Amino acid sequence: MKNPSINIELEFISSDILEEFKGEEKMQYILDKIKDNKILVMEESLSSTDEAKLIEATMRNISEKFSGIEVSTLREKQENGIRETIIKLLGGKTGGLTVIGPSKLIKQIKKEPKRISVLAEKKQSDSEKNSEE
Amino acid sequence: MPFRKLLGWFKGFFGKKKIIRLGLYGPPNAGKTTLANKISIDWTGEPVGTVSEVPHETREVQKKERVIVKVGGRKIVMNLLDMPGISTKIDFEEFLQYGFSAEDAKQRAKEATKGVIEAIKWLENVDTALVIMDSTKDPYTQVNITILGNLEARNIPIIIVANKIDLPDSNAKWIEEAFPQHPIVRISGLTGSNIEDLYNAIAKHSK
Repeated sequence: MKNPSINIELEFISSDILEEFKGEEKMQYILDKIKDNKILVMEESLSSTDEAKLIEATMRNISEKFSGIEVSTLREKQENGIRETIIKLLGGKTGGLTVIGPSKLIKQIKKEPKRISVLAEKKQSDSEKNSEE
Repeated sequence: MPFRKLLGWFKGFFGKKKIIRLGLYGPPNAGKTTLANKISIDWTGEPVGTVSEVPHETREVQKKERVIVKVGGRKIVMNLLDMPGISTKIDFEEFLQYGFSAEDAKQRAKEATKGVIEAIKWLENVDTALVIMDSTKDPYTQVNITILGNLEARNIPIIIVANKIDLPDSNAKWIEEAFPQHPIVRISGLTGSNIEDLYNAIAKHSK
């Protein structure tokens, strides 16, 4: 039985890169990287609306090879708080962090209010097992 | 006919009973359809949908219209909307474990993805939301947070339902600690335990 080495690639993405994209482009940029088996750590928290858009975009991308994502967001403060709204109006960044990866790679993502822990494991799908036999 | 139009306007203006669109949201297998059936059977005698241990059994929004709930001297008319479970992943191989053929599993996965999209689109079309959580599981998941965040952003009244309290490893306190900002009702949709508390909460918080 083969015991292949496991490579897990992490990519840290600055919020400056994400600002270049608008609407659906941003979601597709994220999903293209995840479909390439990367775990992304993004220097921004997605808003609730963006999270919903990301889930919608994920559903449209699901196939036999891509079964979806695991995602977790840390927000520094309340998303729609006065401080955050003023910072956004002035063009500033409110901080936060988002971790996203393919569900086939992320075994568990544990979220707490101020901490995210990720356990990644290369799982072999039934179809991969069958192709080895 | 102008008279009928005028009468309709007066009825609307002077307290014609509003029909509340009550959406049941949550991840797959949280017990949404079991609860929707309990509410519907209690007040109409008919169920809303089919319950199954297989995830994503509900793949389209299921409706029961004009459910009249009488609680605390109030009469609430509502359209029950049982939503497909919201998830960030759907793996057709998961359905193989439940005895589906590969073809059926792929078809079910495809329908399930459409169901998730439909549930998300309905987020802006409900008047009150019940967010159903399985009280035997960690409630602090991104799916629960995303559902709550989207409802909050639209100022939709939320009642969190800590479901499955009949199970021995239920821990409703976990949910209360995770989301203290929302009203939480502990129930069992299956046994009907504390269901009156839920009807009272709907009467109190819905708009």
